[in-house]
Amino acid sequence: MGLSGLVNPYTITALDGVAYGLLLFVIAAGLTLIFGVAGVFSMAHGTLYLAGAYIAWQLADGGWVGLGLALAAAVLVGAVGGAGLAAAVRPLTDRPLDQVLATLGVAYIAADGFSTVFGAEPRSVDPPRALAGSVSLGGYQYPVYRLGFIAVAALIVVLLIWLVERSRTGAVVRAVVADPDMAEATGLRTRRTRAAVLVGGGVLAVTAGVLGAPVIGPAPGVDATILVYSLIVCVVGGLGSIRGALLAALGVGQVLTLGVALVPGAAAFVLAAAMLVALTVRHRPSLAGRPA
Amino acid sequence: MTTTLTPPSTATTEHRPVGRAVRLVRVASGIVVAVAVALPWMVNAYVVSLAATALVMAVLAMSAQLLVGLAGQPPLGQAAYLLVGAYTAATLATLTNLGPIHLLAATTAGAIAAAVTGLLAVRVRATTFLMVTFGVGELVHAAASQWVPGGSEGTHTPPVVALPGLPPMVRPGWVYLYVLACTLVIGAAVIVLTRTRFALLLRGIAAHEPRVQAAGHHTSRLLLAAYTLAGAIAGAAGALLVAVTRYVSPADAAMGISAIALAAALIGSGSMIGACAAAILLVAARDWAGGLLSGHGSTLLGLSFLALAYLPRHRLAGLFTRRDREGT
Repeated sequence: MGLSGLVNPYTITALDGVAYGLLLFVIAAGLTLIFGVAGVFSMAHGTLYLAGAYIAWQLADGGWVGLGLALAAAVLVGAVGGAGLAAAVRPLTDRPLDQVLATLGVAYIAADGFSTVFGAEPRSVDPPRALAGSVSLGGYQYPVYRLGFIAVAALIVVLLIWLVERSRTGAVVRAVVADPDMAEATGLRTRRTRAAVLVGGGVLAVTAGVLGAPVIGPAPGVDATILVYSLIVCVVGGLGSIRGALLAALGVGQVLTLGVALVPGAAAFVLAAAMLVALTVRHRPSLAGRPA
Repeated sequence: MTTTLTPPSTATTEHRPVGRAVRLVRVASGIVVAVAVALPWMVNAYVVSLAATALVMAVLAMSAQLLVGLAGQPPLGQAAYLLVGAYTAATLATLTNLGPIHLLAATTAGAIAAAVTGLLAVRVRATTFLMVTFGVGELVHAAASQWVPGGSEGTHTPPVVALPGLPPMVRPGWVYLYVLACTLVIGAAVIVLTRTRFALLLRGIAAHEPRVQAAGHHTSRLLLAAYTLAGAIAGAAGALLVAVTRYVSPADAAMGISAIALAAALIGSGSMIGACAAAILLVAARDWAGGLLSGHGSTLLGLSFLALAYLPRHRLAGLFTRRDREGT
């Protein structure tokens, strides 16, 4: 293999980082659009990922049928969950703190429900049998599923960026992010856009849960972890920006894998520093004209 | 959001009915303190240790209230500074078991940690402030699992001594009384703080920040000072937590702790006493009532967050806030 010079434990870890980063992007893209469009910081976003991971644990049986069923269920649960959250925050428009509390309440109740139904111990989810083995990359064994996951996630990334930046739907979404009042004045249905983005973000997060379950398996507390890392991705990438989220997610993915391998224990400091830099560089005089 | 946090006008101070209300509140506070002191002789040890935990949470709620109630910026990471304080106290416990020294060191450590991490938080406002403080809090939680002695398993500490010469406090009743005394001291300090010019400027930031800036104040610096003070109070809560549980682990900085502190501050709607009362109620809901419901405390907590979001608390808020600001 001509690439053998490139393949060493660090590049293998970096490949893990790409998988982790893409997973975070699929989740954080929903979160950042929800914040950008609806102004809601959904504390229940990690819960949706965890729901997807539990769906995968329940339905995935090692075959394609199980995975297909799990994905179908994920789309359904994501849509229902997103619509439910949209309905829940609807009466709380212009009260962002109450929206946070409401979604936090939902997250708490769901977390308690999960640990009652699925138990408190971490569950491991096996990938489909066809992808269960590992492949040799220049002398190192690498799980096939993770490569497949990177491919599928990259496809989702391309589709999502196309949807947001090239399609008419995306133009509507970006218009509502940029200036909701002006968007409404030009006849766009901002309310429907807000609900649609919550539904879309929900579907993305639950689907990410099903696909990501063999990577980050379902366990109590995973919802908070996922929420925090996707939140950091949103803050570093700029709230409401898809491309920013992609770059930030890949960076955070590397910090959490390669960074941990190189300098154990420094990940938290690096992420905090990244947030500080992002906020300083993008620092707008806090309240000029828009009391947030 | 800022409108919910704006203190109501205090123009009615001169009226006689308010004077009567002030006396009423003083009598009521006296009764509450008397009952609180007598508690260890009235209920069993479990309830007493629960009450001590609730007092720790009340201190943490005051820390959150300083930011959300005064400055209008909701923090969701206060438990991180509680953890810093708790580990400071636990580390000092190998040298001395004198409680007040733990308390001072933890307060200082909480303040330093908040001053450093606050640089991040004060760059943003409102919901983004909440998101950033949440991120910072969780990062401190994650870093703690890596760096602290004992790792995620946590570490045990010996019982503390309230004053030199006294025996170590082992019985829950004495620990509770120690925590109660510390909470009252911290509470008094916080209430003095809320009556300073500094607190007025913070209220100004909540009401209309550009106006405060136009008056020549550097609002981000003011907020950083408030954040540092809030961190100090949270650090003190950490030392009290170690005194109560004689154990500390990174789980003490879990998201739920910060969320309870923030929720208590919001229920208290601008009032320090209200925040303390709400914190005690929330701990009761989570631990005591949750215990009766066979461990579904977090569902109960989730339901109270939902109730807090949907109930028209803004309309109920005025009463409480006015009484607190004039009566204590």
